[in-house]
Amino acid sequence: MKLWKLGVIGLAVVLLFGVFAMADDPVTITFWHAMSSRYQPVLQKLVDDFTAENPNITVDLVYQGSYGDLQQKINASVVAGNPPTIAQMYENWVTPLIDVLYPIGPQMTAEEKADIIDGLVGSNTYNGVLTTVPFNKSIMVFYYRKDLVPNPPTTWAEYLQMSKDLTADTNGDGTIDRYGTGFRPSANPEQYLNFLEEAGGSILNDDWTEVTINNAQGLEAMEYAASLAPYSLITSSYMSDAFGANQVCMFIDTSAGYFYNNQAAESVGAEMGVSRVPMGPVNQKSMIQGTNLGVFDMNQTQAQKDAAVLLARFLLRPENTVYWAENSGYQPVTKSAYVTEEWENWVATHTYQQAMSAQMLDGFSQILHPNYGDMRDAIATSFEEVMMGESTPKAALDNLASELESLLE
Amino acid sequence: MRTKRRFAIPDEWRSRVFWKDTAAAYIYILPALAILGIFVFYPFFSAFRLSTFKWSVVRPPGTYIGLGNYTYIFHDKYFWQALWHTFYYVGINVPVTLFLALLVANLLNKKLRFLTFARTAYFLAYITPLVAVGMVWKWLYNWQYGLFNYFLGLFGSSLINWLGDKHLALPAVIIMSVWRFVGYEAIILLAGLQNIDQMYYEAARIDGASGFQVWRKVTIPLLTPQIFFVFIISLIGSFKIFTEVYVLFTGTSGPLRSAETLVYYIMRQGFFSTPHLGRAAAASVILFGIIFFFTILQLQITQRRVHYQ
Repeated sequence: MKLWKLGVIGLAVVLLFGVFAMADDPVTITFWHAMSSRYQPVLQKLVDDFTAENPNITVDLVYQGSYGDLQQKINASVVAGNPPTIAQMYENWVTPLIDVLYPIGPQMTAEEKADIIDGLVGSNTYNGVLTTVPFNKSIMVFYYRKDLVPNPPTTWAEYLQMSKDLTADTNGDGTIDRYGTGFRPSANPEQYLNFLEEAGGSILNDDWTEVTINNAQGLEAMEYAASLAPYSLITSSYMSDAFGANQVCMFIDTSAGYFYNNQAAESVGAEMGVSRVPMGPVNQKSMIQGTNLGVFDMNQTQAQKDAAVLLARFLLRPENTVYWAENSGYQPVTKSAYVTEEWENWVATHTYQQAMSAQMLDGFSQILHPNYGDMRDAIATSFEEVMMGESTPKAALDNLASELESLLE
Repeated sequence: MRTKRRFAIPDEWRSRVFWKDTAAAYIYILPALAILGIFVFYPFFSAFRLSTFKWSVVRPPGTYIGLGNYTYIFHDKYFWQALWHTFYYVGINVPVTLFLALLVANLLNKKLRFLTFARTAYFLAYITPLVAVGMVWKWLYNWQYGLFNYFLGLFGSSLINWLGDKHLALPAVIIMSVWRFVGYEAIILLAGLQNIDQMYYEAARIDGASGFQVWRKVTIPLLTPQIFFVFIISLIGSFKIFTEVYVLFTGTSGPLRSAETLVYYIMRQGFFSTPHLGRAAAASVILFGIIFFFTILQLQITQRRVHYQ
């Protein structure tokens, strides 16, 4: 009798413990990222907060080097059938990997999905499904030296005029040594894509069946870029190099470059200003760049995938995306984040953020065509040809259009 | 009798010691063979296979498309451009470096002061990490603040946009490479020079040969093994040029892709944008073919010309 009772109690304990353990089964996920040392404590803090809230989850944060290294390692891990649970990824990395990803969107509430900034929804949606979610996002803004540019240009025409006025041979040796503005076409074709958007143009039509980059709007954008060329430093290096060497006075660059550009301005004893990009003929939009978070379906248990989705959703919470933005220099990615008191105070004390926030909320992202990587290469080359005076805008765009057509498939 | 002998088992096969030795030999080379097999031979052969597939990372090996990748590459103007740039680079870099290395080796072979220092200094360029070298040279080449333009300015030259001009991008890479490899090649040649027996020089002098004759008829022929070695090594290395370009032009391949070499082209196809691993493999196979051809050619020519003491 006693033994029988003991047995029942024992069984009950085991069952109870079993249920309890199932609810809180320890799960470990791997998070690959490319955030260098400056960002790592910030990311670690967010992950620590997350694991404090979910004590059964362990997150292995693994720094994988530069974005290029990260992409190659992700690709290699997919080939080997053993990718991480969650990783940072650019849009054009995702298109070849789409079949091995676990879509995050279907696991999110409608409210959460609606909170993502409009310009970031399309670039995370593949075949109609929100697959990845935005993470570290930056926006193209206008940087200028306050001592040389008291009032930043607000229109294309002003930008052109000021570039012209500021281009000078300051030491009188007969060659220009200070340019009004600067471009890095081979490395940053997004500078042209910004003009293209502001002129109301696009690379392809909406259903990707036709190349539209050489239509009237595309041409207007390229002709505008060409008109700036004589007053522009053309380089492949970061603009901060030239900025810190007194070689350029103002330029369009990503908000992620803020700290480097600011440092460069300080190194020549100047104060730097940040404003919205000059208004184009149609709008004043600029391009959002940076990576998203994707969860892998391949070689993961359901518990791991759930945990990774939970982490992605955790990072989207207003307080977390704001914490990330304030400490990393990237931009918040949800609409609700921009109206938190915390962020409003932050912007009030960090005036350069005003332009970035404003630009972010009506920003646009790249298209998700599977061949976008190749298209970007082709655009970069044509943009460079025009900026270096090797080709007229019309000829370059027609040539580009036929190259892009071969990439439509 | 003859046919019988042809099929006869070699005598040593009958000996147990022979088999024991053979087995032992294989055990000794096994670790190296395993490493080479996994990291060299397997990738080498799979590159050939991969070059006939259309594959972008997921679900290896993708779709078999025969010679489709080769057709694409041969119709790609950037491939031909990259090929031309590579030959341009090799054609100038290899002979210029070798010539300068010969001069330097001859100098270092003289009884000079600070000789050890000079040797170290020349070799330092070679052992410094390439990326660090590239960073420094990027500033040396800066059009406004670079050291080169400063010196050229002393002679009244106007500012040269080394890294921003499509005609100068590749020469800029070549200058950096020459600087980097002269020391390395010179040290190897120097070792060869010091190995030449003095009796040849004494004999030449007794026969009344002039300085140049001695150099032409004694030094150079006896140095051919080293020259040959250096030539092959630098030829193969030069065909594989990539990092120099990548660092000097901040990840791009120079203005208007003017310094895009074959390896950069391979990296672009396979890794830098949309991953076309089949195309990258096909371009690698072509590069292999080129290097293989030149190595065989050199071997053919030099077998008749290299003199060993």
